[in-house]
Amino acid sequence: MAFRRILSTAVRRRSAVAAAAAGNAREASTAVASAPGVVAPDATPVRAPVMPYDRIAEAVNARLRRLEHPDPRFLRYANPVPSHADHTAILAAPETRVTTLPNGLRVATESSLAARTATVGVWIDAGSRYENEEAAGVAHFVEHMLFKGTGKRSAAQLEQEIEDMGGHLNAYTSREQTTYYAKVLDKDVPRAMEVLADILQNSNLDQARIERERDVILREMEEVEGQSEEVIFDHLHATAFQYTSLGRPILGTADNVKSITKEDLENYIATHYTAPRMVITAAGNVKHEDIVEQAKKLFNKLSTDPTTTNMLVAKGPASFTGSEVRIIDDDMPLAQFAVAFNGASWVDPDSVALMVMQSMLGSWNKSAGGGKHMGSELVQRAAINDIAESVMAFNTNYKDTGLFGVYAVAKADCLDDLAFAIMHEMSKLSYRVTEDDVIRARNQLKSSIQLHLDGSTAVVEDIGRQLLTYGRRIPIPELFARIDAVDASTVKRVANRFIFDQDVAIAAMGPIQGLPDYNWFRRRTYMLRY
Amino acid sequence: MLVGMLPRLRSSTRLLRKLCGLETAAPAAAVRRISPADDASSLLHPLPGLELPPCLPDNLDRSPTRITTLSNGIRIATEDVPGPSACIGFFVDSGSVYESGETTGVSHLLEKMAFKDTKYRAHRNIINELELAGGSVGATCSREQMVYSYDTLKAYMPEAIEILVDCVRNPLFLPEEVERQLALAREEVQDLQKNPEKFIHEQLNLVGFSGALANPLIAPEDALARINDKIIKKFYHENFTADRVVLAASGVDHEHLLGYADFLLNDWHKGSSVEKPKSTYVGGDSRLRADSDMTHVALAFEVPGGWLQERDATIVTVIQTLMGGGGSFSSGGPGKGMHSRLYLRVLNEYHSVQSFSAFSNVFDNSGLFGIYLTTPSGFVRKAVDIAIREMIAVATPGEVTEIELQRAKNSTISSVLMNLESRVIVAEDIGRQLLTYGCRKPIDHFLQCMDEITLDDIAAFARKMLSSKPTLVSWGDVDKVPPYEFVCKRLR
Repeated sequence: MAFRRILSTAVRRRSAVAAAAAGNAREASTAVASAPGVVAPDATPVRAPVMPYDRIAEAVNARLRRLEHPDPRFLRYANPVPSHADHTAILAAPETRVTTLPNGLRVATESSLAARTATVGVWIDAGSRYENEEAAGVAHFVEHMLFKGTGKRSAAQLEQEIEDMGGHLNAYTSREQTTYYAKVLDKDVPRAMEVLADILQNSNLDQARIERERDVILREMEEVEGQSEEVIFDHLHATAFQYTSLGRPILGTADNVKSITKEDLENYIATHYTAPRMVITAAGNVKHEDIVEQAKKLFNKLSTDPTTTNMLVAKGPASFTGSEVRIIDDDMPLAQFAVAFNGASWVDPDSVALMVMQSMLGSWNKSAGGGKHMGSELVQRAAINDIAESVMAFNTNYKDTGLFGVYAVAKADCLDDLAFAIMHEMSKLSYRVTEDDVIRARNQLKSSIQLHLDGSTAVVEDIGRQLLTYGRRIPIPELFARIDAVDASTVKRVANRFIFDQDVAIAAMGPIQGLPDYNWFRRRTYMLRY
Repeated sequence: MLVGMLPRLRSSTRLLRKLCGLETAAPAAAVRRISPADDASSLLHPLPGLELPPCLPDNLDRSPTRITTLSNGIRIATEDVPGPSACIGFFVDSGSVYESGETTGVSHLLEKMAFKDTKYRAHRNIINELELAGGSVGATCSREQMVYSYDTLKAYMPEAIEILVDCVRNPLFLPEEVERQLALAREEVQDLQKNPEKFIHEQLNLVGFSGALANPLIAPEDALARINDKIIKKFYHENFTADRVVLAASGVDHEHLLGYADFLLNDWHKGSSVEKPKSTYVGGDSRLRADSDMTHVALAFEVPGGWLQERDATIVTVIQTLMGGGGSFSSGGPGKGMHSRLYLRVLNEYHSVQSFSAFSNVFDNSGLFGIYLTTPSGFVRKAVDIAIREMIAVATPGEVTEIELQRAKNSTISSVLMNLESRVIVAEDIGRQLLTYGCRKPIDHFLQCMDEITLDDIAAFARKMLSSKPTLVSWGDVDKVPPYEFVCKRLR
């Protein structure tokens, strides 16, 4: 009994000492933790008076205990460490069938016969980079004119026909590809094919319509100029690929749009809309044989000129120039800029690694929130220091080159910090890459590729693009295998090829007085320490 | 400034090129380049030695919807869709209609507090776990329903179910996080005044109804000053009860989902049964003066019955497509409604109108249908007049032609079927139908309903809508918008 009293006074004294040394939190907590351990066996509750800070400590401890011993029911699958997931069960997909017709036209389909809708489209290996300088903008002009009437149907009849069947007809032009597609109910697929064949082969290109369409395109240019992201990327192409056709904007220049003639349009169609450079794709409730039969019957007036885009690209290759364009405009509320390196072409084996690296750098915007917890260190830097409104890594591929970099929007006074964060994180890819980050990026990339294929239009788009760029549709298991083959050492090797001590192209717009100069950026493509 | 800069940039490029003679130098550079096609690992060629699994058959069908009700009332519904990905979502019969007094605006905050700290996972862990799988999560709150969804690959299903259940069942609503979200919400509310479209759609309900549907969906500033974690917890506890929750999924096997979810959900607390709060349509006028060249106006009427009157709801959908409309300048080819009535009769005729379209906001027991228009302020008087004229025209027998009706029906059918291609929309459709109807109606039932609609049905229902008092909401130079009484008189 006496022994116990001595012991408890000793305990009381110890905790009094601990409380006195409250400045050192860790020491206090070890003292508290060890105290009950000594008294435990059969101590009577001899307690020091309870103080407010004791209650706070107790509350914190309770929360810690809960976190340390949580209900296992909700945490059976919780795993904060990136790991490789097995996707074998879901990798089988319906077959993509490809048939090449005698005139060189390819037909590719993926059927899901249970659906009640379908998308059919024509993907053409032609775009603004193949235009002549004098007629820049003609590719996009043609896209507009093909909806303006054929020998058989006027523009109004065409519109009405599509609207009556509740379908959608759409088209877009990019630097290397042009697309026309129709989304319809399954029973209307033959009619949609007929409409596509008609507009592609028998368009009138009526002179009065051409005049009217100039205004529409000029108006569209105004719209595009209002979208700052588009403008930045147009400038980035203009400076990175200066003196080459890839540097021109897709819509062409206002002067050109005003002066393009009917002959320009006809020439462009005759040279570039050729059978070997086209792919007819269909997905949804369609049968491959039916589509092939129809394509044979309908697409019989196309030119069979064997010139491939590889020949055209070899004649007019794009070359990357380290350079910059800055448009200072202090009236704009936010500054934006894009920094890019020369990237990989579509077929380059390293393009997969660049996709993973893009995913490692990630993208984020302020309204999405949660940035400080995200895996990408670039996003963490931007979010924690509050130096950006949004950051987005991009990776664009072309036939013979590409662009890899980061686009960011920020307030004027954060530009130097943000530029540092971006360049540091990009060049770090050549030096320090953790396996966890790579696995996480691979998982995200695989998911985003698959989650995107939601519906027949996305599928048709995927088939068309892949057939034009790779000449085949890469099976998902192969794509996943290629992605999984990228590890930390691959990332470092590829970063050394594309980023380490390479020139950059910069496009910036807005209140950008605070953006560091070109040599500053160029210097930060490598580090002189390890 | 920018516009001026562009031509200068281009002309100097052209000049430089002439000076440097770079055009001739370029092809030489190409010869030196090694063609990537020669590389064996190029993406042009299949990966050597990789074994591909056999292809799936073409006729994979979706399985029918299967529904299981757990002992505590939670409904679990699935439709197995072939493909590598799946979408699961929680659909809760809760929203701004259940708010009253001090809980006004809480739903807005609940949406913002989604996927934050739970009893078992810190916010950081949630984000980490989500990033590892690479799916996408989202929470949306509407007046009558609250949705939490997760779209991911099937391989991550067990993880996805667990984290989604944890986030919906065990949120902590930490006071510091609530404070942070309140600050964000305040910014949003201030932006609302500058965003006419959002403002008008919010205001339509505030003015058009009295009762539950008139509760604001975007928390007003005085509510934001009052809301704290305790109020949110109270509202959450009262409304997120087992019998009002549906777990819906597309792309997941039913037994599989039950195996994981039952274990996590079967002890969710049951609440006392709650009557759906009532509201009545009253109509009215609301204007916000704003400094802008454009004036936005919405003229709306009641859709009596709402979703629960299925046939009427179908008719409203068809009338909306029939009237159609859109922007005077918008991208997209034929199929966006270029031959709808408002396009042909308004947008093609009056070029100063910037946008003119029919809209509908339908709720379980009521709804709004009307026309939303944007015009330069000088034209707004005329534009409102045209809107009235168009509404009356649809209600007049003999005005709408059989061809127009058929076109509208076809468009509606195809857009419904096209939407259902997407697994995300399928999951949403299952969840919302279960909350509204208590079952999932087969799509053919809807198509059948659509097929039976006649011209008389259209005119009769439009007349029924027009017999309600109009709701008029405007933003911009509101003095030029005709007075409410004038609009009422024109409609009589």
